Parts: sequence; structure tokens; C-alpha cells
Amino acid sequence: MSKVVASLMPEFERLRQRFPEGFDSSMTLPCLRRVQEVRGHVADEDIRALVDWLGVPRIQFEEVLSYYTQFRRQPVGQVRLEICRNVSCSMRGAERLLGHVCRRLGVSEGGTTGDGRFTVTTAECLGSCGTAPVMVVDDEYHENMDIDKADRLIDQMSRAEGGRGG
Amino acid sequence: MAELRARDAKILMTFPVTATSHLLAEARARGAYGALEKALRTMTPQQVAKEVTASGLQGRGGAAFPTGRKWAVIQYDDGQPHYLCANADEGEPGTFKDRWILENSPHQLVESMLIAAYALQVRHAFVYMRGEFSAPFRRLQGALDEAYAAGLIGENILGTGFSCDIMIYRGAGSYVCGEASALISSIEGKRGYPRNRPPRLTVKGLYQRPTVVNNVETLSNIAWIVQHGAEAFKAVGTPKCPGTRLISISGHVARPGVYEIEVGYPWRRLIYDDCGGMLHGAALKCVIPGGISTKVLTGAEIETLNLDPAEVEPAGSSMGSGGMVAIAEGTCMVRLLQVMLRFYHHESCGQCTPCREGMGWLHRLIDRIVAGQGRLEDLDMMARISKLQDGNTICGMGDAAGYATLGILAKYRHEFEYWIREGRSMYEGNLECRRSS
Amino acid sequence: MPQIFLDGQPFEARTEQTVLQVALDHGIFIPRLCWHPQLSVAGNCRICVVQVEGRSWVEIACNMPVSEGLRVLTDSPLVREHRKAIMQFITLNHPVDCGICDKAGECTLQDYHVAFNGEASISREPKVQATKFYRLSERITLDNERCILCTRCVRFTREVSKSNALGVKHRGDHSLIRPAEGDDVRPLDDDAYSENVVDICPVGALLSTRFLYKDRVWYLKATPSVCPGCARGCSIDVWHRKPEWALRALDARHNTAIARVTPRDNPDVNGPWICNKGRDLALLLERRRADAPMCKGRAVALDEALAAARELIGRARHPVALVSSWGSDEELAAFGDALGGRFHCFVKDDHLPADGEVVEDALLIRADKNPNGRTARARFGDQAVCFAPDTDLVLVWGEGCDFGRLPRGVPVIFLNAFLAPENGHAEVFFPTSVHTERDGHFTNADGVRSAFSRCFDRPAGVVDAEQVFRALAAAAVAEGVTR
Repeated sequence: MSKVVASLMPEFERLRQRFPEGFDSSMTLPCLRRVQEVRGHVADEDIRALVDWLGVPRIQFEEVLSYYTQFRRQPVGQVRLEICRNVSCSMRGAERLLGHVCRRLGVSEGGTTGDGRFTVTTAECLGSCGTAPVMVVDDEYHENMDIDKADRLIDQMSRAEGGRGG
Repeated sequence: MAELRARDAKILMTFPVTATSHLLAEARARGAYGALEKALRTMTPQQVAKEVTASGLQGRGGAAFPTGRKWAVIQYDDGQPHYLCANADEGEPGTFKDRWILENSPHQLVESMLIAAYALQVRHAFVYMRGEFSAPFRRLQGALDEAYAAGLIGENILGTGFSCDIMIYRGAGSYVCGEASALISSIEGKRGYPRNRPPRLTVKGLYQRPTVVNNVETLSNIAWIVQHGAEAFKAVGTPKCPGTRLISISGHVARPGVYEIEVGYPWRRLIYDDCGGMLHGAALKCVIPGGISTKVLTGAEIETLNLDPAEVEPAGSSMGSGGMVAIAEGTCMVRLLQVMLRFYHHESCGQCTPCREGMGWLHRLIDRIVAGQGRLEDLDMMARISKLQDGNTICGMGDAAGYATLGILAKYRHEFEYWIREGRSMYEGNLECRRSS
Repeated sequence: MPQIFLDGQPFEARTEQTVLQVALDHGIFIPRLCWHPQLSVAGNCRICVVQVEGRSWVEIACNMPVSEGLRVLTDSPLVREHRKAIMQFITLNHPVDCGICDKAGECTLQDYHVAFNGEASISREPKVQATKFYRLSERITLDNERCILCTRCVRFTREVSKSNALGVKHRGDHSLIRPAEGDDVRPLDDDAYSENVVDICPVGALLSTRFLYKDRVWYLKATPSVCPGCARGCSIDVWHRKPEWALRALDARHNTAIARVTPRDNPDVNGPWICNKGRDLALLLERRRADAPMCKGRAVALDEALAAARELIGRARHPVALVSSWGSDEELAAFGDALGGRFHCFVKDDHLPADGEVVEDALLIRADKNPNGRTARARFGDQAVCFAPDTDLVLVWGEGCDFGRLPRGVPVIFLNAFLAPENGHAEVFFPTSVHTERDGHFTNADGVRSAFSRCFDRPAGVVDAEQVFRALAAAAVAEGVTR
């Protein structure tokens, strides 16, 4: 069994008990989220282990993984930068911010830096319109962003060790 | 978060937000869980439901459906489980008011959900929260943990024999999961595909059981209504739309943020007093009133309007989800629509033909106009596509892009015609509020 | 029983029905792509829109419950306007491959385009491109550009075959029908009913790999038949070249080959489905054929073989017959009348389940891999084959007999359709026809009798078993030795 799933199994069993009777199908999203938090993405062996344990058809896992934007089947950079470019954020400079971050890191949208450190993607509305523009760094919102703040953040993260394991 | 600018006695934003104001102790000091006790000890489920109906509370997610009427479909003692889902998916661009409740007043939501669960004979309730909301998740989970520790949720609450569990179900990135039936599909662990009706969700919802899906803000009013009574609720706002609305306002105002207003509040006051007017003193070009599918109203049109559906609707728009965006002069409406259509294209679930094909069509069309290769007939084509999607889709998202398109074309067609004729924007493609030189 | 009105005419409906079902029951046409009588309602294509009288909008009929007094218009100007719009959306990104698409001629999308749209695309945008020739399984090729995402195939694998092999990946107009993938997972290959998705696909997205580019459907005719693959006896259509479109320049075998096999809807037996073995009938029936009567391996004229057989029958005191469970009702009756009194008869299983073949399941497949065992056993009993020591003649009719188990030195009369070494070892051999070369009936294990019709002429040299039996009957009587 996938080591990641095996390590999370006690937690998954507890979660399963908290759902009402007959809700096994509902376990897909939460389990996939946790696997991804640990591994950084969802691997084929994770799907196999979850299918075997839950009895939910494999196709359902594959559909869910491809439908929701937060799930990743492939590893990405150690630090994930997501920049919203929806209406309010665009009105407060998101496009300039995105352009700057991409140029600074030498990647295009969706790309990962050569050293595997940063991945830059765009996002649709994150519910942070009042503090636009927003940049999400490894799932945490950094609000009221501007180019200077972004530069300082990137400097900080370039110096920091570690990041998510691959 | 923007500094609170609450005015008048409120239902939700009744306290200054501090680092600890969301915690159980402080919430209790403000009266939290008093309504729960009142409901569980002195009222029957039917009486609670009746109070909610009498209050005239309407949904705050965008559709403004009378909450009591939705609840009334649930049959008491029908021998099957009922489910309650709080819709915390909040993906509508410009809308971030449920987030305020989740982060700053989670116990108001929790208590309200428990009362609603009691009224609807619900044993298991869910909060469906969009996956991106990391901080709100921690706040709400923290509130749930506190409530469980204090015996306010779970088995035999306050020794009354009423049991209810609340779980947070986290989404994973899909705007359409804010639609109630798609939300349910997602909680079932599948793709967020909306469902055709019939059957109504209150008849066959989560795992084909009777299910009520209510917006976070809608639910958060319940505790107040039970505590103070339907009449007191009706004394706030207008007779047709009692209570308050949380308005999240963003864009080119000086102080964007969440504001609680009584229905009927003057629009001018919100923008020019509470929000400090437009950035750099710019002129207001137009406003998106409540979510990007609501028709834009020009600065002139809102001059004398109050934030009341009875006035906004005759003006040709809607208060929708309360997600307001204020747009300054000098903003290119063509590019703004392009951002919206790109969004709808990205978020279409792909299930039904008119939305799946139509969103891509609209997006590619406007991209072509922005690239300088538009033709005048493209504008009629966009209008045609919008009209043909209307009413022909499984869920309301199919109409939304069309409404946004028709709304902007109705007021700013000349900007599109300019770009098509000249090959460029009237405003250099600008979306920001530039300091005038 | 609520009464509803369709285009002003009253119709009785059942409470659980939808407007679409009532319309179809009474021959009123409402177009549909994603709806299928055997699958759950998806309501995603939107082509079945109708207008409730008095409303200014249209709604889908496949999910509209009936109610007393409901008045619906199925062809009003508003309905036509919206149908046309829906067709424009559906075909917006359609590659219009008709010239090279197998589905042409039997494509619902083509029919609806002509009926409800009839004009070129109004879009100026480039079409969305997607995978073509995606190998969904050994048997099925998928073209995602032609796919309209009706999800009939997905629902089939979830609700009917229950293989859960197919799903929709990604979203919006990047949605793709895909199988469950991953290293060693091939659920569609293991689905014994997978090719039914080719039938129910309303466009040319799902295609049979074997049939790909073999023929145009308008050159083919469908002859009703029965699948002999097991005792379910599913009703099928055998497709073959129309005589008036016979190919002259190519190999003449094209004109006598089975182009493809599809289900024939039969509510009493198989509904609208067959299993994949039925699709592969050509593999069974088009094995190399025996085409000459023989005496001890020497090709002879039919008369000589008959005379030799008559002589053997006349002389025999204790003849045994192994009766074919592939014989039709008519052949079995003829055998019984002609020789049943003369021979000690045992019914054999011409075919047993092959290695890896599904033996039996809850849907259609039965363990008995012979089409007419029931009729045969009703007539000739179900004792296991056993040869008394005084057996002095064995008549073997059909396949499945292990010649090594026959009593040594006893002469054999053998009737077989296919080329086999044993043909030459028999005293007398008759090359017989297969069921696609004659009319007849099979009766399935539940007693349902189904007719099959002749698709092809018998190849030269081949005889009908029935004809042989009648010719030998005289021998059975003439010598006056009866049982």
C-alpha cells in the first residue's frame, strides 16, 4: 500500500466514522486533500490504495482529481505562488503583479523555476477582493500585495530551507 | 481585512473585530448560544420554523428565496435522515462577506446551524467551504472544537436530548460548487455537477435525502431571529426585505471591505461615506451591484438609489450576492468583460451543451476583439449567444455570462465598437484606477 | 392515470412517466441525444426542449413529470427556435468529419442537423481540438472531437454493465470521455458488454475498431438473426453487403462476409444489448469451411456420400447419434422424424466455455454456450453420452465431439460446417450450412423462440443438414429395423 496512505490511515478511519452511515463516497475529496498535503501531489499508488480501501470506483477518483483545480497529479515547485487575476484583483494591479513575479522568476504562467523552487500559477476569485490583489503562498493568503511586498516575500522564501517534500 | 465601518445596530457585525473576538468566551459574552438554549428548551422544531418564516428572511446567496418557504418542504417524521448544508463556497467574484462571518463570527454560524438543524430534524449538518479558504477553515474548525468541548454540539446538547454533529467539508477549486445541487454532488465525493430539477433538493438532495442548502449569511441570521423574534427582525430593513445585508465592496473605492447595511440604505452613502469615495478622487463610472452576473448600473443611475431590491430591480439590476464592485472612470469595460468571460469559461463544469460550448465561444470571441480582430457583427453574436443560453441550461451559471455580457453591452457598446473600429481600447486597456496627472 | 395534452391532443399517461416517455409511447417525435430508455436521465444535451402552453420559455421533456391537465407543445415556433440554437451549440466544435466518419448514414447528429438547423455554423471562432483515435480499449476507438458529452457511455458502464470503466475528465469544453487509467487497470477491456457503447453513442465518437473504415452503412443491410454464442439467444442484426451493392472488383468474400453484428431490441430476451462475443460472430462463423462431401477423406459427389451413409445405417444394429445443440428447431425436428427412431440419441454440447470467457453473469451471458440445447434435450433427453459395447455406428452431428473417445473401429458418419482433420477420418462426411445461410428458429433456455433469417447463400458444395436427414430417412425405414 502507498506509504503516504498507510501513514494517514488512522486519521482516515476516524474521519470515516464521523460521517453518517453510507457516506463512503464522500471520503474521496478529504482523503485526496490530505494525501496531497503530505506528498505534494497525488500519485497513482495513492489512488490504488484508496480504491482498495474504500471500494469507491477508481474512475470516480480520477474524475475528481481532474475536475477540481486544487488537485495535482504531478509534483510542482517547493513553493507555490498563485495570483488571482479576477475582476477586483485586476482592478487593483494583479496583472502587473503577475507580470513582475513571472519576469522576476523567469517563468511563464504555470511554470516552475529551473531549480524547482517556485511554481507560479494564476487563480480565479479567491474571496479576497477587499484586500486585492492577493497572492496565495502555499495555500496561505497574502493580501494587499504589491510588487515590493512580492519581491520581499520571494527574497525571504528563496533564502528559507526546505519546503514540501516531493 | 479592511477596518470595520459598521453603522447602526446590526445583526451580524455587532462588535469590533480583535484578535480574540471570534473565540467562544467573547462570543458568549455577546450572547452566543442563548438563542440555542431558548429554542431547545422552550420551542418545538415547528415553532422555530414558523418564527423563521414569519421573519420574512430571504436567502443571502444571491437568489433571495424565502428561507421559511424552502424549509417548509421538509416533512417532519418521514422516517428518513434530513441534511443541512451551509454554503460557504463563496466563489462569486467580488463577494467576500461570508468569509467575514467565518473568520470573525463563526459561533454565530454554528449556533444558527444548530437551531436550523433542530427546526429541520437534522442529525448531521455540513459546512461546504471552498478549498482555498485556509484561514476561515481554521477559524471555523476552531469554533467547532470549542463548541464540542463545551457540549454545545454533538450528542444530547445541553442535556435536551437533541443531538447534532457539524462537519466541515472542504471543496477543491470549483466555482460552480456554490450552486446548491453541485455542492451536494461535491459532498457526495464526486465532480461538482449541478442537477436538473425536479426533484427539488428538499425532496431528494444529499444521497437522495431531503436536504436544505442555505448560504452562510442567511443561516447566521437565525440565532438573532430566535433570540429577538420575527417582529424585531421585520422592524429592520424594509417590509418586503427585512433585515440587513452584508455588502462586500471592492474595486476602486478607497476603503473596500464588508459593510452591514439595512435594506434601503442609500447607495451614495455607502460609496462616498463608508468607503471613503473613489480612489484618487476619481469619478464613479459604474457599479456591479451584487456579483458579476448582475447588470452594471452607471454612476448616474445609482445617484438616487437606495440599496433595496424594490429600487434596484426596477433600475434593471439586482442586489444578488452582495458582491459589489465600484468602477472608476478610465476603466476599459471591454477588458473587464474579458476577465469575466475568461472566468466563466474556466469554471463551466461542462455538463450541458449551451454553457459548455457557449462559454468558450464568448471567451474566444472577446479575445479576438481584444486582439484587434473584432468585427461589428461580433457584438450581435455575443448578444445572440447570451440570449440563447438563457434558460436553456441545467443551472444558473449558464445564464450568468450572458447577463454580464448583455449588461455591459447595453451601457458601453460604444467602447466595443471603438475597439473594433480602431483596433485598440478607448482607455489603453486599463483596469486600474490611475492617479490623474 | 393523469391525462396530458401534447400539441392539443389528449393522451393517457402513467404517474411515473415524463412528458418525453408519453410522447414516445404515442409516436410523437421529440428529439433526444442524451436520453436513453434503459439509462438514467442526464438532461444535458437540451435538445428535447418543449414548451408548456402559456409559458414563454422552453424546458427539457426528458425530466418533466406528467400532471393532470398538463398542456405541452412539442413543435411550436419557440421550440423550433431553441432547438436550432441547441443544435448550433452542439455542433459548435464538431469537426464535421462525416466524409471520413463511420457513423455517417446512421448518425443522429446528422439527422438532427438537417431537421433542426440546416445551416452552416454561425461561429467564426476556431474549433476546440481534442484527441482523435484514442484507443479506449482493444475493441473501441474514441474520437473526442466528435463527442458531444451526452454521457450515455458513462452511464452504461455505471448502470448496465457496472464495470465503472468510463468517466468524464477535466471540465468545461476541455471535458473528455476517458476510461479509468493507471498502470495495470483496464476495466473497459474486462467489460464483456463494452461494445454496446458504440451502438448507443449518437455520434461517431465511439467506434468499433474492427469495423473502422470497413464499409459504409448504406451499402449494408441488416438481417434479423439470433446469436448462437450461448443459450440466451440474443436477438441480433447481422449486417452484410446489400446484393445490389455487391463489390465486383474486390475479393468476392466481401459480399458474403459478416460486416458487423449489432443488437436487435427484444424486450423478452436481451433488451437493446448483446455481449461482445455476439459482436465477434464472424470469428465463429467464418472459420474455414468444409465444402465437399467425403468418403474416408476422398471428395465425392453428394449422391455417393448419401448412398454410402444409407448403407451404413441400413446395416447397423445399434447406431448412436450425437445430436448438435446448435441445430435449429427445424433441423432437430427433421432429425428426430427421420432418424430419431433408428438411433440411440444423445445431445452434446457443441461448445464449452473457452479459457478466459465469461461463463455466466447476472446480465445476459449463460453458461451453456449452445443456442438450442433446450429444444434438443426436450426431444432427445439429457442423458450423458455413453456408448454401449455393442455400438456399431456413430453419427456425429456438429462440433464438440472428441473423436478419440469414440468406440474404436466403429464407422462414423459426420456432419460439420467447418474444416477439421476429423472430417477426413469419418466413413462419410457431409459439409453443412451455418445458421446465417438458412431460415429457422432457436429456442433459448427460457423457452423463448426466436427466428433467424438467411443472410447468405450456402457456399458451393455445402448442404443443409435437414436435407441430409430427410435423404437418409428412407434408409432408416427401408431396412425395417426400427427401435
